[in-house]
Amino acid sequence: MICCKECLDLLSDYIDGDLDPQTRADLEEHFQDCPPCIAFLNTFKTSTDLCRETLRQVDVPEVVQRKMKEFVDQQKQKKGQFDPLAD
Amino acid sequence: MSFTQNKETKEAEEALVREFQAGDLTAYDKIAEIYQKKIYALSFNMTRNAMDAQDVTQEVLLTLFKKAHTFQGKSAFSSWVYRITLNATYMKLRSKKKEPNVSLEDLLPSYNGSGYQQEKIQDWSENTESLLFANETREVIQKAVDQLPEKEKVVFILRDGEGLSTEKVSDVLELTIPAVKSRLHRARLFLRKKLSPYFEEYHSRRKKK
Repeated sequence: MICCKECLDLLSDYIDGDLDPQTRADLEEHFQDCPPCIAFLNTFKTSTDLCRETLRQVDVPEVVQRKMKEFVDQQKQKKGQFDPLAD
Repeated sequence: MSFTQNKETKEAEEALVREFQAGDLTAYDKIAEIYQKKIYALSFNMTRNAMDAQDVTQEVLLTLFKKAHTFQGKSAFSSWVYRITLNATYMKLRSKKKEPNVSLEDLLPSYNGSGYQQEKIQDWSENTESLLFANETREVIQKAVDQLPEKEKVVFILRDGEGLSTEKVSDVLELTIPAVKSRLHRARLFLRKKLSPYFEEYHSRRKKK
């Protein structure tokens, strides 16, 4: 039977689906007998999900998109006049 | 994303790079379009500053324009772009005074002699979906990510923020797979502990309603 420390060390691999079937079964056996580790797992997973979603909400503001488009076009125009590959 | 898709994307991107290297300017448009959002998001999550993220994006697009012909394909093109983005971001961060990081060790789980964890845990994990739509939550989370030590922060942002695979992060940062996994896990443990008081309070407020 694995202890709480071993259990918490494996949580990222567990939620990412990276554990082999035997280790996964050992971990789930531990969860059955250990409510604090279940609570830890639930809060760990939820906090990871919320952080992930928050980081992925970043959008490029429209004004930046427009500026970048202008910038890209400028570079291309310059390249039309010179040969930047000779840079 | 499956390995096959990754491989197809990688080949399509490298075909674009070859076209650009051969002088096809429309290929550069496509490269800029594919990477603009990734560069901006990575830089914004690292700096939490829109102006810095904009500067970094422009600088990286310029570097890609000027240096794409030096790309030799020893590693994936995308890994090269992420490395250039991180270098430009670190240059920005270096010029700024940073708040001292919170000690990561203090926020890792603690155990008694028999290996039992010692934290008193309230399970606040139910009904947290609405948290995602609150600006306050976003700020609290971004601030906590910002307090991560640099080594853990960059792994966490690339893996969970940009959604790169463990293998890809290991390629970009030139770290072993176990090192990437260990840093990612420590980052997630830190964030859980750091954010727990906020989520607990939210949970009890909801229960009272």
